Amino acid sequence: MAVKVSMTVNGKAVSHEVEERTLLVNYIRETLKLTGTHVGCDTAQCGACTVHMNGKAIKSCNIVAMQAEGANITTIEGVAKADGTLHPMQQAFKEHHGLQCGFCTPGMVMSAIDLVKNFPNPTEAQIREQLEGNLCRCTGYHNIVKAIKAASADKNVTVVGG
Amino acid sequence: MSHDAFHGRLEDDRMVTGSGTYTLDWDFPDTAHAWFVRADRAHAEIVSIDASAALAHPGVIAVLTGADLEAAGFKSLPVITMPLKPDAMKPLMPFRPCLATGKVRLAGEAVACVIAETQRIAMDASELVVVEYNELQPVVDSLDALKPGAPQLHDDVPGNLYWDYEDGDRAGTDALFARAAKIVKHDLYNHRVVGHPMEPRCCTGVYDAAKDQYFLYSPTQGPRMQASMVAKVLDVPTDKVDVVAKDTGGGFGIRSAPYPEYCVTLLASKKLGRPVRWNGTRSEVFLTDNQARDFICHGELALDDKGKFLAMRFFIVANNGAYLAPTGLLAQTRSVTSCITGVYDVPVSHARIQLVATNTAQVSAYRGAGRPIMSMLLECLVERAAIDLNMDVVEIRRKNLIRNDQYPYKLVNGTTYDCGDFEGVLDDALKAADWNGFDKRRAESARRGKLRGRALSTYIESTAAGGIPDDAQLLFEADGTISLKSSSHSHGQGHETSFAQVVAGVLGVPMNIVKLRTGEAGMRVGGGGTGGSRSMVSFGSSYLLGAREVVKKGREFAAKELEASPDDIEFDHGEYSIKGTDRRISLMDLAKKYKGSAGEPHPLNSVGSGKWGMTFPNGAHIAEVEIDAETGVTEIVSYIAVDDIGNVITHALVEGQMQGGLTQGAGQILGEHAIYDRDTGQLLTGSFMDYPMPRAGMVAGLEVLDHPVPTKLNPLGAKGVGEAGCTGALPTLANAIVDALRPVGVTHFDMPATPQRVWQAIQAAKAGNPRALQTYTLEYA
Ligand code: FES
Ligand code: FES
Repeated sequence: MAVKVSMTVNGKAVSHEVEERTLLVNYIRETLKLTGTHVGCDTAQCGACTVHMNGKAIKSCNIVAMQAEGANITTIEGVAKADGTLHPMQQAFKEHHGLQCGFCTPGMVMSAIDLVKNFPNPTEAQIREQLEGNLCRCTGYHNIVKAIKAASADKNVTVVGG
Repeated sequence: MSHDAFHGRLEDDRMVTGSGTYTLDWDFPDTAHAWFVRADRAHAEIVSIDASAALAHPGVIAVLTGADLEAAGFKSLPVITMPLKPDAMKPLMPFRPCLATGKVRLAGEAVACVIAETQRIAMDASELVVVEYNELQPVVDSLDALKPGAPQLHDDVPGNLYWDYEDGDRAGTDALFARAAKIVKHDLYNHRVVGHPMEPRCCTGVYDAAKDQYFLYSPTQGPRMQASMVAKVLDVPTDKVDVVAKDTGGGFGIRSAPYPEYCVTLLASKKLGRPVRWNGTRSEVFLTDNQARDFICHGELALDDKGKFLAMRFFIVANNGAYLAPTGLLAQTRSVTSCITGVYDVPVSHARIQLVATNTAQVSAYRGAGRPIMSMLLECLVERAAIDLNMDVVEIRRKNLIRNDQYPYKLVNGTTYDCGDFEGVLDDALKAADWNGFDKRRAESARRGKLRGRALSTYIESTAAGGIPDDAQLLFEADGTISLKSSSHSHGQGHETSFAQVVAGVLGVPMNIVKLRTGEAGMRVGGGGTGGSRSMVSFGSSYLLGAREVVKKGREFAAKELEASPDDIEFDHGEYSIKGTDRRISLMDLAKKYKGSAGEPHPLNSVGSGKWGMTFPNGAHIAEVEIDAETGVTEIVSYIAVDDIGNVITHALVEGQMQGGLTQGAGQILGEHAIYDRDTGQLLTGSFMDYPMPRAGMVAGLEVLDHPVPTKLNPLGAKGVGEAGCTGALPTLANAIVDALRPVGVTHFDMPATPQRVWQAIQAAKAGNPRALQTYTLEYA
């Protein structure tokens, strides 16, 4: 059965007919063609699909698109400034070599921004604990932790887009 | 240049903004979608396959089975072979089909492929394919599979023995053992793991009928290497296949070769005249990616009465799975024994490895590819010797290390170490780890109710083992950029940055005009892929030579332009000038001016090439762990890695490789474990819920230090860094855990150190069984 879904994605109103069982991540990737959000597992464990829904990080593989009806969604494509300036979290991942293959990175960045919202000046231990829901196979996490710690000092770190 | 301030890699901007192009990000019009029907049992004859209901399902376009592949002339998935000694047993290499025919040999093996208008229709319809099986008893354990009367997987692999491989000098070794003052023996199980790059296996197959050309979009470590293997399956010339990839989401050895599904989508595309895409899942990664390790190891060490090593011998049984993976021979044998006696001065040794067929996923090269097997066995054996002989773990090593005046040092099997400073590396590590302060730290942990353990490993591994010259092309483009092309594809290493750094360094041009383009359609370049930690050593060296060639060619044009003799022209920081004058022209201006004739290659284009020898990264790692005896939880509290990886090109990237490799090793030691059910052959740990991946909290307190001893075997002096961390981490952490458990009576513990296993071991030791968590024992034979 097809249903109509409408939401705001990266500041733009979107609306499509989709199959009821369409996951939010598939709607984002396949219908909206925003392929920065990745799928790394089928058990809601890896966090590669993390986006923001109404300002909070969620795993977009873990809800159907219908559940995001009317919501405000931000994906990794909506995090940098419109002029291309990287978000402080993106900049920190780059400067601290917090990515290798980059597959986990969009989800990591989205989770990390939420993390510093919840823990404004996080300790290393807090960062490590809060990243529990995001898997990275390449970096061993060390530089990701450093990047998040560094970015947390930026006063604009919780602001996305713009 | 190594410690220059790091501001990020050239590839980072697209990756942090979500604009990377991974395999499923390619989008083709009119794509059809494939979904695979997989065996739900581990060992069975296929009686019949009925696809009629699936074909009748709305939106289904076709269903392919093994019969269709046979009709299309598909060959076996290939296996990489190696030269053999004349009297050696030849490995048995059974046919590995892309879709099972006759029999299924592992749970998850692809039996049919449903192609439909959408992925979800293909998934639904795959449920309608009825496969009738005649079930057979599976065997998943390699020792079980070797027993007489065991279920047989392949008619042409009697006794389930793919290969009985020997390396070294058996007779000479036995003679030394016969007159040894002391013989120490150790058994261990290096358990099976799943590699898990974060990008699941997937592809789009596109056949271009007008050109009769196959284009495979897939994750890859080496596009030309992968294309050559796909071409073998399709039975077409290598040039008929292009593997196209931009970003690859991790590889670690298991994305080097093609998988059955890739070849099936190419055939499907040819039959349907449309691109065919396969969106693989993590569950399919678990079941059918190449898996890793699964070696039952037995080692023996002969010593004289002063604790000097005389000889070593090893007997190892490797579970290779239901088929031979492409790297399943090499990585499981020669890669294990290449550094057969490690960093120790032991002139004579022998190893025997049996490769066994079982109803489990095929095993291949994976971060370290064989070398971590030997490093773990050797270092656990040496640790055991220290305990048995009541010697200090540092002194026993120091006494037996190869000394700096012994290079070149030739091992029994011909491997020759060119250089090293093993004792210097060891001393650095002892100092950085405050080795002598351990007792205090142990006492402090004890006050908090924790068992503290520590261990030292002095490991070595071989890299860049490659039989073919690796080419690096430098191409001057009309837009003022320089393209770099080679078959070594980055799947996280940052080649775009490091190769650009090598080339820009020689040419004196900004790094951002040097563009690496490794996975494009139409690229034809000789060489292997990324693997064996060889990219910087081998391709990096080739790029260096190529760049020097550009400078040489440019000198002729500069001489013409500046009206001087080429001998009077010098090159510095990107500019040619007449010696002693201020008449100069930049390389890029020359390139613009002397383009050559239209349609012809730019005259400055150059190729660097070389077959660079094996190098030997080595290091001393020291870990300290704390175990909570009440819960069995193990925590890594500090980890010092001092490594000699030769010259470092980009420090940040090297450190990243070490951190990643170490953590991958820690993952295996602390939890990762692919467990098959012995009766049914089903994978019991088939999702991230049952298979504990390393998470951010696992390894804290990690310090990575360099102790470079540049090699002369390649012009960069580099030794390769991709796998060293993992090779060092396995024995270091394993020994630290046993060290922590020894005071509570545990004398042997096979990994992984999950809380449950550690707790069990402690309880068993209390009840009088110090070796309860030992899985296997073997006798040298
Ligand atoms: S894809 Fe959503 S958690 Fe893995
Ligand atoms: S960078 Fe590769 S998975 Fe995180």
